[in-house]
Amino acid sequence: MTQKQKALSKEEEILLQDFSRNVSTKSNALFYGNAFIVSAIPIWLFWRIHFMDLLTSSPLFLIITCLSTYLVSFAYKKTKFVLKHKVAVKREDAISREISKMIAEDKKMNKKEKDERVLWKKNEVSDYEATTFSIFYNNALFLAVVIGLSFFLLKSFSPSFNYIFSVGLSSGLIALLSTGTK
Amino acid sequence: MDTWLKICIVVVFAVATTGNEEATPAKLLFSKQILNKYLVEGMDIVIKYSLFNVGGTAALDVQVADNTFGPQDFEVVGGQLKVTIDRIPPGSNATHVVVIRPSKYGYFNFTAAEVSYLPSEDAAEALVGLSSEPGQGAIVPFKEYDRKFSPHLLDWLSFAVMSMPSLVLPYALWYSSKTKYEAILTQKKDK
Repeated sequence: MTQKQKALSKEEEILLQDFSRNVSTKSNALFYGNAFIVSAIPIWLFWRIHFMDLLTSSPLFLIITCLSTYLVSFAYKKTKFVLKHKVAVKREDAISREISKMIAEDKKMNKKEKDERVLWKKNEVSDYEATTFSIFYNNALFLAVVIGLSFFLLKSFSPSFNYIFSVGLSSGLIALLSTGTK
Repeated sequence: MDTWLKICIVVVFAVATTGNEEATPAKLLFSKQILNKYLVEGMDIVIKYSLFNVGGTAALDVQVADNTFGPQDFEVVGGQLKVTIDRIPPGSNATHVVVIRPSKYGYFNFTAAEVSYLPSEDAAEALVGLSSEPGQGAIVPFKEYDRKFSPHLLDWLSFAVMSMPSLVLPYALWYSSKTKYEAILTQKKDK
């Protein structure tokens, strides 16, 4: 009974992980780190091209970068969750074949153990692909929108307001788009 | 008939000689123009001075002086602000160009330059005149001009280099996993 409970809880754990919106600490650190870097990149443009003074504008840069970091990492998490299930469905067959090939010679392993391994591998691969694609997609969208807003739509604004609105609106937009279910 | 012709010739000569004795003194029209489209702090401004002699006699000892550009606000880069032209024949013109560089930004009132000249050879006193006034101009700060017009190629290149890791790395990682599992599927299909 106890072993069955343990086996069930292990399966449940994998399933819970699969369907959960929560990310692990490692993923969190990865997301926040990437979000901070990509949020800080536009500072270069505003310093060199819009001639914002680094020292006098540093409090503004800090506040907006922190806000943008939070919104971009939010977008990463939401996008990852949506993508993960799509990737899991796509990769299921390939992963099953890979696991089958790996454990072909191990006759001690029963079907249940094999299924568990497939489920675990499927979770790992879909998590990995969803994470990397989510980061790439949101970074590309964020930078494109920042450039579009600051050099086209908002170019007549003063540099400070240009920075606030272009970075703020870009990060807000990708956060909003990430809440879509498709 | 011959008599009439001779009388006509005499009259023409008389008119010609008296015309020379009553030639109008020299009269100069003086204009000052700013040739720049944009006035920018630390960048050259080209000023063109044009003198037109609309009188009947040559203007002599023409002295042009522009005292409106103080040394604390402007630096003379080319030409001189005080020039002497020996002679401007009647019906002709003379031009002079000066290149200056403003050291400060802000609104500046471009006022008239002065000219003095002798209207004839036997004139006792020189005539003094003023040029046209270009009026008020805004000298913009260099930052504003650079922000608007500089291509910033190096800055954009640096931005591209900085953005590459955030874009290329995640894409490469995703792509390698994707191709790996798609290859497993296609291998099985081929078998």
